[in-house]
Amino acid sequence: MGDGVVKMAKENKTSNGAGQEAPGKQGWGTENMPYPKGVALIEARWDRCTGCGACEMACSMSHFGVISRELSRIRIYRYLLPIPKSVQNVCSQCSEKERECQKACPVNPPVIYYDKERLHMVVDEDRCLGSSCAQCREACPAKVPTFYPPEADYSMVCDLCGTGGERRPQCVEVCPNFALEYMAPRFPQHLQRIHPDQKAEYLAKHLYPLPKDRVQIPPEELFKEEK
Amino acid sequence: MKFQMLEVNLSTQEKKVVDVTEDIRNYLGGRGFGAKVLWDRVPEGADPLGEENVLHIGVGPLTGFIGSITNFSAKSPLTLLRGESNMNGHFGIELIYAGYNGGLLLTGKSPKPVYLYVKNDDIQIRDAAHLWGKPNLTTQQTLRAEIRRDLEDQNGRIATIGPAGEHLVRNATISHDFYHHAARLGMGAVMGSKNLKAIVVRGTKRPSYHDPKRLYEMVTHFHKAARHQKAKDRRWGHYSSIIDRYYKTMEGVKNKQLGWDPVCDLFNPLIFEQEYQLWNDSCSFCHIGCKVPYYRMTSPLGPCAGEFRHDNAGGWGANAMVRGFEEQLYITPYLDDLGLDGEDVSGVVTWMMECYQRGIVTRKDLDGIDLTWGSVPAICKLVKKIAYREGIGDLLAEGLKLAPPKLGRGSEKYAIHCKGVAITSYEPRGSMQDGVELATCPVGSLHGGRGSPERIAYDSLTLCTFLRPSVNQVFGFENYVAEMLRATYDWEVSEEEWKNIIRRMSYMERCYSIREGYRPERDDLLPERFYTETIYNKYGEPKSMDRNVFMEWRNKLYLSYELDPNGLPPKDLLKKLGMDFVIPTLEKAARS
Repeated sequence: MGDGVVKMAKENKTSNGAGQEAPGKQGWGTENMPYPKGVALIEARWDRCTGCGACEMACSMSHFGVISRELSRIRIYRYLLPIPKSVQNVCSQCSEKERECQKACPVNPPVIYYDKERLHMVVDEDRCLGSSCAQCREACPAKVPTFYPPEADYSMVCDLCGTGGERRPQCVEVCPNFALEYMAPRFPQHLQRIHPDQKAEYLAKHLYPLPKDRVQIPPEELFKEEK
Repeated sequence: MKFQMLEVNLSTQEKKVVDVTEDIRNYLGGRGFGAKVLWDRVPEGADPLGEENVLHIGVGPLTGFIGSITNFSAKSPLTLLRGESNMNGHFGIELIYAGYNGGLLLTGKSPKPVYLYVKNDDIQIRDAAHLWGKPNLTTQQTLRAEIRRDLEDQNGRIATIGPAGEHLVRNATISHDFYHHAARLGMGAVMGSKNLKAIVVRGTKRPSYHDPKRLYEMVTHFHKAARHQKAKDRRWGHYSSIIDRYYKTMEGVKNKQLGWDPVCDLFNPLIFEQEYQLWNDSCSFCHIGCKVPYYRMTSPLGPCAGEFRHDNAGGWGANAMVRGFEEQLYITPYLDDLGLDGEDVSGVVTWMMECYQRGIVTRKDLDGIDLTWGSVPAICKLVKKIAYREGIGDLLAEGLKLAPPKLGRGSEKYAIHCKGVAITSYEPRGSMQDGVELATCPVGSLHGGRGSPERIAYDSLTLCTFLRPSVNQVFGFENYVAEMLRATYDWEVSEEEWKNIIRRMSYMERCYSIREGYRPERDDLLPERFYTETIYNKYGEPKSMDRNVFMEWRNKLYLSYELDPNGLPPKDLLKKLGMDFVIPTLEKAARS
């Protein structure tokens, strides 16, 4: 029986994906969970995010070969609820009916569109009008598309790190908190396609009934009967 | 390799960028470089709360990788010696993104309350009349809303002071994101004395590291290799050590009168984990997430939220005879909001408690507060008086170096402090190692090990101290430093040069304190109580400290720090390190 388990594990390691090195978080114990092969997206489990920013580093590293938060397509927003809490903001590769950025793009054909062969959002960098336009960002309910005019003045959205037919989202692979999941779409996406502010509002309910600028009942109120 | 420091003079509103590459090469950054800045910029004998003092916000070459701390340096109003304090969180990395990898230096004094706004090269000194007088959390929320309109995003990082800092309480803190504090040695009071309510930093530049790929590999490899540490730290944060320490008699009980009390058992982290834990929060590029904030809706004192660490809550355990988490979680966020150093002020309050117990101060002296052991309402009232300097609070706000001689009446011997910094959550009789390390720290009795050269190196690299064991395990400290300095700034440091940098930083800190009146031989001692009284642990075993043994340990520690038996840096070594300019000061100190 023991041999069988070892054999299975070996098979899993070699037969994953396109027969190359097994994707997934090497060493985290999730190697055996295969990545989706068809339509896929990165889902942010924002309740688990600790705000370390490893995903931002991985994203800019993978796309630009530098370490820069501004060049990252996934962003961490930090809130005081009043306890600090971070949530991620990343493109959720919306379904056709909900693809507001593509609809809003003033260029014809749209610069930002869903590539049906590569199965993720694509931005035509050369044709993009840049941060002076930013209609896609305005239209997106989560304000996902980002621009960094000094170095990349075009809309940046998640492309699932798809290069050469292989997709291995680096942010998912480095996240130490399992707060990002690379998975087949799960509809509806109404808890993903929301602005980080809204996510923070949901999380603030953990702290009910504290308002945003109090962490306790002030002692003047609590101990007043003693006077 | 180029290091730039932003210098803002609050008196003249003059802003300039200074090239500090040479100093960083010698003193590395953060804590080490901060000491050099103080030596150069603050005149001898300056008033810490006057215009002459400076506040240096230090970052280091490795800030932003694997836990980034921000180091604050100024002449301390509490000890009147070198002052410094570390803060975790996301503030330092933002300074790097704004292009100031040599830190931020604040000089002068603003005529009216202001806050400093830094966005890359856009530096503004803005009016803070609407923020003055508000506690930390309200200030931060108000500023966040304002800044968000300005920046159109969330990433402005804010450091503020509370009412305690405004009223120049000598152990006031600087707060960032509510529970990150640069708490020790009165950095908040220095900021308050400059009429500076807050600092806002937002950086959108891209730091040009030499080899980002290597950096990325190092950081991600570390995340995976050090995951065992994560499992432990995530569960309980850094408060888990406390019950262990009570059992080893390493934690003070009842202002060091006892070695054990049944209340100690109420501080078991398992209770904390089961009843209070909320979520995890981490600093920049750190996988651990060791901030474990708590929240409880139905605690006996109403809904409370906050964060416990050994530092802010340790002194509010059995040392003040507070009964368990239920009461402790009410006191610590109150202090965070007022902007008081939980550890140091707990030393002041327990000193008052013992004086009250012994009848040295009466209820009338305390403005009608019945300050019995562990009384939460009394603690809150007294702490508020300290933060606003009302009545007796005006005296107590002076800290343990200045207040006990002013009060007199034989109360001095119950003030448990070393060089003015309260010893609250340590019990040297249970651990001689802690005892000598507290006593020999040239900046006051911070925490165990804070004075050691290696620790100074960590603080100067701005590498989080809680990652020390993991870094040593995964890379080895020297390998890690060499590799990271090469990858960040293409800075090749030989083994010999690295040793010299550590020596330089450690000597600089000591020399600055000596210039301001610190005499290691005279000051590196613990309060009399530790040598003369015996305490008993839970099982009735006696714990005491022999003065001769202490002196022996102290001499050994001096030897390991490469100091002479008087605790002074040897002159030949100073000359070798290129620090000839401190020798006249040392000679003057030796004569006096």
